[in-house]
Amino acid sequence: MSWLHGLAEASSAFEAVLGLHPELLQLYRAFYGALWDHHLVAPNLLELCRLRIAAIHGCEAERAIRHAAAGVTDAQLAALDRWRAAGCFSPVERAALALADKMPWEHHGVTDEDVAALRVHLTDPQVVALTVALTLFDANCRLRLVLDIAPQHRLVEIPAAAHGVLY
Amino acid sequence: MSSRPRVPPVPAAHTASRLAHVPPLEAAFWKLYGELWSHGALDHRTKEVARIRNARVTNCGL
Repeated sequence: MSWLHGLAEASSAFEAVLGLHPELLQLYRAFYGALWDHHLVAPNLLELCRLRIAAIHGCEAERAIRHAAAGVTDAQLAALDRWRAAGCFSPVERAALALADKMPWEHHGVTDEDVAALRVHLTDPQVVALTVALTLFDANCRLRLVLDIAPQHRLVEIPAAAHGVLY
Repeated sequence: MSSRPRVPPVPAAHTASRLAHVPPLEAAFWKLYGELWSHGALDHRTKEVARIRNARVTNCGL
């Protein structure tokens, strides 16, 4: 349980705490939800990076959420912690995971080559959207860890939607 | 650090922010960030001290 007394009637543990400031919850959910609502980046790419960043942070509350329809395979899930040596990730997934790996603790180590590798596969708007996604995955882990939000295992249709739930 | 932009700016955009590449994200971001600075539960001094301290800790010259 978080050391904050969250709202009892909230739809998720994350919303129970962020909902203590309702306007901020609504706007944060709209920002994060825009990633998923507008299909800016392929959902499997987002889901792989989200879970990878959660693993780097050791954030069980983020890892406990699973995006059911993202298209991530069981083999990929099993190999995610050692993705560089695994053969089940596509070139664009590998480029995205390379950037995701650096986001939590090595963001100064991102190179021109890291971004160029993404631009081989993605348009500039998609590169921007993916970069925003990685920062939000990182931020979500930090929020959950700092606020000590308990894991809630959920298989969800979508991790967030502007007019839905922020899991 | 890169010596050149890794993603080019959007021509004729009203800011240099690369978020202009993705209008739905840009709009949602400015609403959130604007709320943070326009209203919110904390006074401006506290938020500004935290912003500057965070920029220094993360070594963000921008």
